[in-house]
Amino acid sequence: MTTILSTKSLHKHFGGVLAVNDVNAEFKARQLRSIIGPNGAGKTTFINVITGKLPASSGAVVFQEQDVTNRPAHVLVRLGICRTFQITSIFMGLSVFENVRIAAQTEIGGSLRVFSAREGLKNVNTKTWEILHRLELKDKADVPSNNLAHGDQRLLEVAMALAGDPKILFLDEPTAGMSPAETEHIAQLIKGLTDTIAVVLVEHDMDVVMRISDEITVLDQGRIIAEGSPRTIQDNELVKEAYLGHG
Amino acid sequence: MSEMVTKRRSTHPMKIVALLIVVTCLTLFPFVVTNRFYISLVNEMLIYGLLAMSLDVLLGYTGLLSFMHNAYLGLGAYVVGLFLIHVAPSSLWLALLAGVVVTSVIALPVGWVQVRTGGLAFALLTLAFGMMFYTIVWKWYSLTGGDDGLMGVPHPDIQVLGITLGSSGNPTTMYLLSLCIVFICFLLTWRIIHSPFGAVLEAIRENEERASFVGINVRRYKLYGWMYACMLAGVSGGLFILYRGYIGPTTMSAFAGAGVLMMVLVGGMGSLWGPIVGAGIFIFMQDYISTMTEHWELFVGLVVIMLVLFLPRGFIGLGDYLTRFRKE
Amino acid sequence: MSFTAIAVDIILNSLVLGGVLLIVAIGLNIIYGLSRVMNLAHGSLYALGAYAGFTLVASGLNYFAALLVAPLLIAVVGLIIERVIIVPVRKRSIVYTLILTYGLMFFLDGLIKYFWGNEPRFIELPQFMRQTLPIAGTHYPVFRLVTLLTTAVAMIGLMLFLGKTKLGIILRAASSIPEMVSCMGINMTFVHAGAFALGCVLAGIAGVISGPLYTIDPIMGHEMLISSFVVIVIGGLGSLRGAVLAAFLIGLVQTLAEFFVTDLAMVIVYMMMALILAFMPRGLLGEGRFE
Repeated sequence: MTTILSTKSLHKHFGGVLAVNDVNAEFKARQLRSIIGPNGAGKTTFINVITGKLPASSGAVVFQEQDVTNRPAHVLVRLGICRTFQITSIFMGLSVFENVRIAAQTEIGGSLRVFSAREGLKNVNTKTWEILHRLELKDKADVPSNNLAHGDQRLLEVAMALAGDPKILFLDEPTAGMSPAETEHIAQLIKGLTDTIAVVLVEHDMDVVMRISDEITVLDQGRIIAEGSPRTIQDNELVKEAYLGHG
Repeated sequence: MSEMVTKRRSTHPMKIVALLIVVTCLTLFPFVVTNRFYISLVNEMLIYGLLAMSLDVLLGYTGLLSFMHNAYLGLGAYVVGLFLIHVAPSSLWLALLAGVVVTSVIALPVGWVQVRTGGLAFALLTLAFGMMFYTIVWKWYSLTGGDDGLMGVPHPDIQVLGITLGSSGNPTTMYLLSLCIVFICFLLTWRIIHSPFGAVLEAIRENEERASFVGINVRRYKLYGWMYACMLAGVSGGLFILYRGYIGPTTMSAFAGAGVLMMVLVGGMGSLWGPIVGAGIFIFMQDYISTMTEHWELFVGLVVIMLVLFLPRGFIGLGDYLTRFRKE
Repeated sequence: MSFTAIAVDIILNSLVLGGVLLIVAIGLNIIYGLSRVMNLAHGSLYALGAYAGFTLVASGLNYFAALLVAPLLIAVVGLIIERVIIVPVRKRSIVYTLILTYGLMFFLDGLIKYFWGNEPRFIELPQFMRQTLPIAGTHYPVFRLVTLLTTAVAMIGLMLFLGKTKLGIILRAASSIPEMVSCMGINMTFVHAGAFALGCVLAGIAGVISGPLYTIDPIMGHEMLISSFVVIVIGGLGSLRGAVLAAFLIGLVQTLAEFFVTDLAMVIVYMMMALILAFMPRGLLGEGRFE
């Protein structure tokens, strides 16, 4: 399997606090890699630096053999690095359809066509319906997204990220606040995505992580302390210590 | 696949009929009511309606608050006035074009600086730049006439395809010119707001961070929105000086800026015709109340406070924008 | 006049101007820092303070007594404003509070015009303050020195209040970590109201001391509002140390600019504000923060 994105000795510090400390990670195509670790381990900061939400203090992010360190978020999205957020971030005042449509429109193009109707972009519409269909949000297409249930809002955010045609997708705690049934649904969905793209999952639900991940990276205090298959991680002493030791 | 066919949000035919009726009534107005005073009053409503609509492109559609959008009306008006005085006293279209171009050229670097920020910082920046333009216009006596304002602006003839339609000094002719241009700008803005480009602006209004994480270059699109709003303001400025033949710095003051903001609030943000109606109500009240009392400021302040507290959606735009600006 | 005389004049003038700016700006800063309300009516409250001072002195009160009473009156006005119209919009977006306080500014200006009219007013000063004092070859007006002294006293008082009293410490804590303070069982309603009142006291003091410096007119608050924005933007929103630095910097720039090119003084100041806002949004000391 080819490496699609890697970080080279990535650092991020806030004042004196090192949130990401010399991380070298590799993400492979069509692989589901989970990032786990105790609270404050720097998981979210790590993906914030990769996806362009925060500037790196030093080190590099390499995407398909191209240095993309500290590029603005919208450039990274266009390259194929998409993400969702821990706290749901969608266009609250717009309908479900419009939320996804905008993302598809940005990917396919046509945002500068000022004299045509926005509903008239054929490829964009087809793609939007396709994604809504895939995520079973089709029936809710016309619902204002702020009226959606929490679980559907999380799903909508995944839909928007998918509309950007990601090559690698970062999901920051997609199951947060979801019911067991919704969690199961989204877990299957995430697993299904790896047929075509790389997925990076930051997740607290260990059950989900162990079940669907191909590989797991464990962060603690900004450093990678273990990497490997779910089985090897489960048996790893360092990991147990990180979770229980200084708890 | 039947559900894959997009429901085209086609415009309701009644809306088009209503628009045509309104425009017809406005066109007939100066021939029915021949009183020059009322013709000028409605003309002013149209011009400020255009300005309020352009502010709404920023406030209601892009989510950017500009306190002193009137500064760009002022710039447009001064440029057109100076062009008519010093360059070509009879070239109306050239003067209007110069007004729009120069306003845009000034608005570009201002916008480039402003779009680096959002929310509070953006609003404060509009105030800083607006006050700067106001001070310059007020103090540059030799060019602008300072406190006395720009006087003696000639009234060129309105010519289309070589045919003279009348003098812009004639209230009725000038009124019809304003109506025509405001109508065109309205249609144009309506088209743009409902285009894919307009969808991008709405996305920025709803959630700037998400917008950049679906791949939108937020700063660039904010700048486009800003430039369009300033161009429209420049057009309204050109009409303003043609209709008045005079402009003073008070038109560019912070107080006048609050007036424009109030027109948008009265009419309701996020609907193009709301602000135009708001401008009409505002100009009418201003005219009516200022003849009765000199305490116009007291009144403006009170109405703005009441609107924000009790009627944040405005009188007209009672539609769908309840959810806007509720980022928290 | 000799060169030293001019220099002393400029330095003293910029200190006086910077001091007044500082008091207004710190009030604005405290209100924003503690309750996230950018009060655009702050300049009008300052003007109201000047008018209150004028009326109190005109009705026979001693200037220094007025300097104590007027700020308290403004604080009462501020409290009413906070309770009645700011509280309902606190939970809404900042765009609404901005528009609301913008309306409030015009309302207060209208009130001022209603009660005091348009013509400029002057505060009658005690005899000794109308003298001049010879300093380094220039004759410096005593009332300006008194202004400077009052500024210093007010700032020291504020520092003591924020640093030594329990209330002040709560306020400072609330400004840096509001969640923590509300967790500790301190009523945020009280903190918000307290911040607004404190800001208004400062605006009132500034109003009374600038009465003799400038003419009192209904629009005196506008320029002051913009100038104090410049100060808190350059110093960094919410940063007190930054505000001190910025106030005296702006005082100096404005005094110098007025000395050399009169009319462009404010244009230069606006430019400074715009550039700092856009390129150094955390202010000169990097301590400020936007929401």
